[in-house]
This record gives sequence, structure tokens and C-alpha cells, in this order.
Amino acid sequence: MTEPVPASEPFIEAKIVISSDVRFLAAIRHTIGNLTAVLGWNDSESQAITLAVEEALTNKIRHAYKNRPVGRIQFEFRTEPHALVFQLTDQGEPPDPARICARRDTLQAGGFGTQIMKDVMDKVVYRTTEEGNHVILTKYLPGNRHAPDGPL
Amino acid sequence: MNMSVRKSENTRIVDLTGDVDLSGAPQLRKLLFEALKESPNVLINLTAIRYIDSSGIAVMIEALRESQRLKRRFVLFGMNPRVHDVFKLTHVMQIFQVVDTEEQALATGNSHAGREG
Repeated sequence: MTEPVPASEPFIEAKIVISSDVRFLAAIRHTIGNLTAVLGWNDSESQAITLAVEEALTNKIRHAYKNRPVGRIQFEFRTEPHALVFQLTDQGEPPDPARICARRDTLQAGGFGTQIMKDVMDKVVYRTTEEGNHVILTKYLPGNRHAPDGPL
Repeated sequence: MNMSVRKSENTRIVDLTGDVDLSGAPQLRKLLFEALKESPNVLINLTAIRYIDSSGIAVMIEALRESQRLKRRFVLFGMNPRVHDVFKLTHVMQIFQVVDTEEQALATGNSHAGREG
């Protein structure tokens, strides 16, 4: 159960549903960039978070829907007391655990997205349910660098 | 993303502008491979890139591998802080030849052409 953000803190909660069309990437990117700036991350951190979330979205377009632009992707984000949480859901091919866990070779031209998500975000969770394949990305808010006790 | 190529006898300078993401990656790959086929020196101007994601990095790595296969010089220059951050984040900085300015990139190309000749 998600703990509500205190009314004194800035909060946002939104859900956007898009088709798996690469032309939406820029719009999502700008949204995340603006959001992270408002929540207090500096330019470099904001770009890193934007990149990580876009990688999750790009992975769904490329791997879940095999670059077909007709899939459905649900993109949600919300503030929690200590964190900004993104959740992306698709109904395409489930992610390949071998790809998620694989380590990259230096001259390999793929596999960056998963690595960037792990490096930038504080928590990355993959889950498949009846609603689809979810990836949940959590980033602790500036000033909350240490993980709070218990799951977010 | 906008792409353009400046051509001289033995060099192609590829100027990239805007956001390099999955939507433009296939076209970028095609352009870089064509440049590598045509010329012994391919220099990539990153100065005006606002954003690059892993699709763009992947294309750069594919082009680098192609340059090695064809024994071409593949040099990146004008890496601004935003682009630098992404190269650093993806741990690929050390595999590329990166210089600051176009003049430096051209100098490496000329020395390469001289060695080849």
C-alpha cells in the first residue's frame, strides 16, 4: 500500500497511455525532465533519471513490441514520501531474464538500457501480472539519499 | 535530430543536431555506415547534440566496429557535458577516440591519411 505524501510536500501522480511509437519519446522525455527539475534534482541528475526512464520505455518498444508502433504502454509516475516512482506496463512479450541479468561486453552494441536503469535508479523491479509486464523504477528524492526502512 | 555531412577528399564530417534517440537511430546508422564506406576518415561532430540515449550510443559502437573492420579512422569531437555524461554512464568512453575540437579531429585524420599513404 502506497503511503500518501504529506500535504506540505510537493506531489504529483499521473498516468499516460501511449502507443509504442518512437515519436512519443521526446514528449515523455520533456515531461520527466521538467518533473525532476521541479522536484529538486540538478541538471545532470535530472538528465540521468530521464535517460533511465526513457530506456525502460525504449525497451518496451523494442523488446515487448518488437518495434511495432501499435502496442499499448501505460506510463505512470507518482511521488511517495521519500521517492519518485515510475511504473511502465505493456502487454507484449515478457522481458527475458537472461537479458536483464546479462553483463555487457565493452564492444557490444546493446544492453545499455538495463545497465543504465540499474546504475541511475535506486531500485528497479520487474514484475509480470495479469495486467501485463511491469517495470517499476524508484529514485529517492534529493535529500533522501539513504533508503528508508522497508519497501517503498 | 538533424544530420548533415561535410565532404572533402578523404574526410567526412558528420554534424549531428538535436536529440539522438530510437526514432532517429536507424537513419544515423545508415549515414555513418555510408560515410565509412566512402572515406578513410569519419569525424562526428557532437557539439549540437542536446540529448543522446542508449540507441544513439549503440549506433556509435556499431559504427566504431565497422570502422575497425574497414580500417577507417572514426573520431568523435565536441562532446558537450550532457553527451559526456551519457558516454560515462554507459562506460564506453574509453573505446572511442575523442578529441575536443574539429581542428584536432582533422589533425588526427590527416596524420592517419599520411600513415596510410
